[in-house]
Amino acid sequence: MIDCDVHNAWRSADELLPYLEPTFREYLERGELPGGRGSFPHAHRPWLHPEDFKRVDAVPPDGGAAGSDHAFMCEQLLDRYGIDVAILTGEEAIEVSTLANPHYAQALARAHNDWMVAEWLPLDRRLRGSLVVAPQDPRGAADEIRRLGGHAGIAQVLVSTGAQRPYGDPFYDPIWEACAEVGLPLAAHLGGQGGVNANPTGCGPPTFFWETHALLCETGMGHVASTIAQGVFERWPGARFVLIECGVAWLPALLWRLDADYRALRKETPWLKRLPSEYARDHIRLSTQPLEQPRRREALWPALEDIGAQDMLMFASDYPHWDFDEPRAVRPPAAWRDAVMDGNARALYRLGAREEAMADGR
Amino acid sequence: MGGEPRHVVCAAADLRPGERRIVRVRGRSIGVFNVDGHYYALQNGCPHRGGPLCEGRVGGTTLPTRDQAFAYGQDGRILRCAWHGWEFDIATGRALADPAVSARTYPVAVEDGNILISV
Repeated sequence: MIDCDVHNAWRSADELLPYLEPTFREYLERGELPGGRGSFPHAHRPWLHPEDFKRVDAVPPDGGAAGSDHAFMCEQLLDRYGIDVAILTGEEAIEVSTLANPHYAQALARAHNDWMVAEWLPLDRRLRGSLVVAPQDPRGAADEIRRLGGHAGIAQVLVSTGAQRPYGDPFYDPIWEACAEVGLPLAAHLGGQGGVNANPTGCGPPTFFWETHALLCETGMGHVASTIAQGVFERWPGARFVLIECGVAWLPALLWRLDADYRALRKETPWLKRLPSEYARDHIRLSTQPLEQPRRREALWPALEDIGAQDMLMFASDYPHWDFDEPRAVRPPAAWRDAVMDGNARALYRLGAREEAMADGR
Repeated sequence: MGGEPRHVVCAAADLRPGERRIVRVRGRSIGVFNVDGHYYALQNGCPHRGGPLCEGRVGGTTLPTRDQAFAYGQDGRILRCAWHGWEFDIATGRALADPAVSARTYPVAVEDGNILISV
């Protein structure tokens, strides 16, 4: 089983200091912080979880932040459920997308990446890392992808779903180009819902945390439409886009609509050669969590089957967050189960091949 | 032409390049088009939702390109359904956005100065 969204945390953002270049180490040491000493510089979303967004039982026995203790992560997740590979997504690192200063944002992303490679990947052969970049600085992001993207323990490039514009926009071409060069998927994880990024819902800001969280699909939908319409998958035929923590039940409705509207207005995007749903099936992957919960559990799957989601969904737990999905709670049709819980992620992240690379000591 | 009965649409001189005529033959509504001196006939019912395909706009469209480029072409050869705007190649009936979809076409001939369709 592969878990495509596991949050490894630092106990304090001060852990990044040794990995920051001097200019920005000074920012982190002396500069203003959103939550006092040890907090991570970002413009937090204005929707504050009234109970905090971590599982209360995930605080390690000797204290510290949930997700910061590898041994406890093994006990609560990796060993307990028999996870073969966990894709680490960090905790707050993707929030660099909310910062106005792209240089500071990219420096923090680089520090996270070096910290993750040095402090987490050596702990456990089951762990793979996400290379976080600041998407508001596409050229700096591309440099970072070329610097570290070839590391055998890196599974993907990671940004937040919150963005200044959707990810198919040619503004981001340097990121797609670099991903193609190093052969990594680009993943967008729920987050970045503040600061310089666009409002996450189109009609203006929601009010409550749960109200906002239920609408987490909205930015994901925008990125799916954008990457397909702008021709990302024609320009980079090997490109893969992964949406993490945006839900899945909306996908059939969106792809049906994209196919219908493309058939009528193909002339707007003459660089496309296939129906939107065909690009999606080959190039887009979605993590299952937080899986929608229909009144009849089995009502979730028929529409997804219609658009070929059995090839697109990948299990994720979101440990140690409050909306964690236990593997047993995800029950796709029996014929899909191996693909959704294991095979799709294994193929996307080339886990067999990377397993061999790790065994070679690279 | 096939074994189906042939029907006179009109005198060829009465359907000039760029013009169309919609006729009813054996209970079917059919659009007959003159595209640069060549005649084509399509069923006036869109394979998408049955809309009046042949009442739609005729024009050109964007040709396949790469990298966000635009090239206009096929002017006068593309029919867009009057309802939802699906594009069809008048000569072949094929939907431009989805090769799996085609509008029904009928054989056309000109004999003794008249346009004939086989329905």
